[in-house]
Amino acid sequence: MIDESVPFWAAAARRRLAFQKCDDCGFIRWPAAGVCPECLGRAATWTEVAGDGTLWSFAIYHRAYAKTGIPPVPYNVGLVELGCGVRLLTWIVGLPDAQLRVGMPVRVAFHEAGEHGLIPVFEPAGSAGTS
Amino acid sequence: MAGSGDAPGAIRGRCAIVAVGQTEQGEIPGISADELAVEALRLTLRDAGLRKTALDGLITCKSYGGYGIDTTIGRLAGLNPAYSATLDYGTCNFSLHLACAVIGAGLAEVVAIVYGTTQRSQGHRFAAQLGHRDEAAVYGFLNVAGPAAMAFRRHQHLYGTTEEDLGRIAVSQRRYAQGNPNAIFRTPMTLDDYLAQPYLVEPLRRADMCMISDGAACLIVAAEHRAPDVTGKPVHVMGIAQQTGLRDRQNPDQFLRSWITPVAERIYPAAGIEREAVDALYIQDPTSVWVLQMLEHYGFVPYGGVGAAFAAGEIGFGSALPLNTNGGQLSEAYMWGFLHLCEAVRQLRGECGGRQVEGAQVAQYCSTMGFMKAASTILSGSR
Repeated sequence: MIDESVPFWAAAARRRLAFQKCDDCGFIRWPAAGVCPECLGRAATWTEVAGDGTLWSFAIYHRAYAKTGIPPVPYNVGLVELGCGVRLLTWIVGLPDAQLRVGMPVRVAFHEAGEHGLIPVFEPAGSAGTS
Repeated sequence: MAGSGDAPGAIRGRCAIVAVGQTEQGEIPGISADELAVEALRLTLRDAGLRKTALDGLITCKSYGGYGIDTTIGRLAGLNPAYSATLDYGTCNFSLHLACAVIGAGLAEVVAIVYGTTQRSQGHRFAAQLGHRDEAAVYGFLNVAGPAAMAFRRHQHLYGTTEEDLGRIAVSQRRYAQGNPNAIFRTPMTLDDYLAQPYLVEPLRRADMCMISDGAACLIVAAEHRAPDVTGKPVHVMGIAQQTGLRDRQNPDQFLRSWITPVAERIYPAAGIEREAVDALYIQDPTSVWVLQMLEHYGFVPYGGVGAAFAAGEIGFGSALPLNTNGGQLSEAYMWGFLHLCEAVRQLRGECGGRQVEGAQVAQYCSTMGFMKAASTILSGSR
């Protein structure tokens, strides 16, 4: 099975946020896929996007559902809606979980995450950048 | 709203559920999922006084661990039905609708639907990642509790919904479960008890999540003209409706699943009734959040009005609109939603003892397959 998302993680390692942009219709898609879900075109170019968005919602895990590879509980998982239309799962960093708010403006940062290397995370927009 | 017999999914008078049955639910060691499915079939045939040779259709659905394939179950059960098929996703409504379509096409007249699983003994707790594998694994977005928690948090933001509002769903269903000897969770639970539970995936608690169990269930669906051969109390399928949300994460509101609403628009015209005619409502509930969503999407309460409707006694235990009278998946057992339909059939046959809904004539079952598919069925005790 081809892992279409490899370039996404490679871009993150360079502190860049990039997604596939359809060469035919311009739709920016995520999750990564070999076909555009809008026009069914096959050709796409990995394109850097601005890392500004809003927090669509979030969940705070108090139970560890896997033995390895995840942060110690409690940890948050957020869904960030980017200006380019993509919605991305991520962690929200830079403030206590209790201060997370749906709809808050966030912007991308990049954090070391063990075996995964640098991965995109988001912090409140307006806070001092860490990337 | 009530439509004609020409409405899509208006299949009144064509088929009926003539028997339902289930095994015990819980942890059942020493038996395979497929053997459990056959056991549910055996119990159901026995209760209906039906010989297996009367079956000419078999519909199974895959269960965790690669089980549930029609060719395996047919062999185990010694069946050569005229028609058989396996669905990837049962959740009962989809299996029932396929049975109705098969009967409608004349491919079979008496169809057994079976589902069996040893998901609990196999140690699976739905810990597999949802959504895109890498992204979910990297960020630990595990278990359906994750998206359900996000959906509820978003709902709170949009409508001011409180955790008390959500808790009323699990509390009501637990109250029903106390009267259901088959239910796994029967310990009384008040709203205070609910709120005192620690978070599992905040803002959800243990009581907002279903109980994975081993077990099996079976329904037998027959063409109307064959139903009297089997039972004096057939439960008639009045109407069916489906809608998919296969675009998945490209759907704009994602976990809120508003793509379900076309099912609500289609199901009442299909059944030829108004929503208000529903005497007993069943909503598939791997998480209480799905109940909240479907009560709203189907129009039983306005958006944001679920807590108030429960508090005012308009819905749930002891109200005018009984909901998940078996205790639902939250309190009875997961069983991929098959037990809701077993319960609905028994209610319409008047066989539910202390939890019987007085005079129940019409029941509705609403179910979803996660973020992919939705379906509803309306059943009636009279033709």
